[in-house]
Amino acid sequence: MTSAPSGSLTDRYIQAVLTGLPARQRPEIERELRASIADAVEDRAGSGEPAADAEAAVLTGLGDPARLAAGYADGPRHLIGPALYSGYTRLLTALLVTAVPAVAVAVAGARAVQGATLSGVLGEALGAALTTGVHIALWTTVLFAVIERAAAPGRGARRERPWTPAALPDPPSRRLRYGELTSVTVATVLLCALILLSPMLTTERTPGGDPIGPLSPWLWETGVVYVFVALVVADLGYAFAKYHARWSVPLAVAGTVADVAPPVTLIWLVANGKALNPAFVQAAGWSPDVPRWVGIGLVVISVITVLNAVVGGIARARNR
Amino acid sequence: MLEDELLATHLQELRRGTVVLACLLILRKPDYGYALLDQLDRRGFAVDANTLYPLLRRLEKQGLLSSDWNTEESRPRKFYRTSDKGAALAEALSRDWESLTTAFGHLKGEQP
Repeated sequence: MTSAPSGSLTDRYIQAVLTGLPARQRPEIERELRASIADAVEDRAGSGEPAADAEAAVLTGLGDPARLAAGYADGPRHLIGPALYSGYTRLLTALLVTAVPAVAVAVAGARAVQGATLSGVLGEALGAALTTGVHIALWTTVLFAVIERAAAPGRGARRERPWTPAALPDPPSRRLRYGELTSVTVATVLLCALILLSPMLTTERTPGGDPIGPLSPWLWETGVVYVFVALVVADLGYAFAKYHARWSVPLAVAGTVADVAPPVTLIWLVANGKALNPAFVQAAGWSPDVPRWVGIGLVVISVITVLNAVVGGIARARNR
Repeated sequence: MLEDELLATHLQELRRGTVVLACLLILRKPDYGYALLDQLDRRGFAVDANTLYPLLRRLEKQGLLSSDWNTEESRPRKFYRTSDKGAALAEALSRDWESLTTAFGHLKGEQP
């Protein structure tokens, strides 16, 4: 379409712009950009400039194709925007400085109890710390990137109710809630890490030297452990939703269900004797009473959690 | 003296909205991208091509410009024209520009 002899330079430029754009925008932008470049080249060539120089000058004037593509793009051109950035860095820092050393210490302690060598203990602890750190960084980033994109259309909806100073949260309570959110996140990450690592982080071994996990192997065979971890993580998701979004009936119902699901699952597991590993109890030489008390303890904690979730949900509904 | 970079940043901030107003006023008579760029330049509105072309698409998406492909000539070109909504916006922006000019005039008139 271009009349310039070295049309390939323009073609390559346009290609570079289009790569940065969603497919549905491409045909029209290509057509228009091609015409605009050809017009500009023609104009320069008309005043006596050699066509190749004119083309190069026009493309230089248009600048980096990536920046031009960014100008055309509709969606956010950043992963985490200014509105969420400070929350992101605060949460990431809090998680990294708490969970990483905690996992390292837990792994080191478990290995030391199992009688590993010093270098073995240090190596495993460092490896576990690194893995935990990478996971925390990745998933926190993914979570905030998702919030960034999910919140974008919602911003318009939130504006429907005009803002008044009365909507200001009390600074201490918001800070308190932020602290609460951070500690809930840290606790969730630690709990999930402990559950998933428990088959390795055990103090007991078979005579053959294989580790005996404290939790029932049935959980892994059936995949129930992953369901449980998913429920706990979903609950954390609702904690974030509650923090970032206004109170609404669907959110409150979903949040209460998310709060109640993990403890109810736990009660069911304990009641059916699926929580503890009988082999572990035997290897540790516990009396039959110990698992019973552990079970009762877990059920009591679960019931308290359920009551707390229901009472808290009702209180939030009243105070909204 | 002002550092060049600082000046450039603030000039860009100050001019950002003026290009929109200039486009809406010029495009009361339909025109295509490159010709508009040329016109803006001749009339004293410095704007880069890589700013103008995405801007035209955004204004079209906001319903301030309407467009038509002219395929009668050898090179098909997309012609933009200010819509009724765009004309109304241009009216409002012009009024604002004038009241700002007056306000600045008063400011500079008050010698400290």
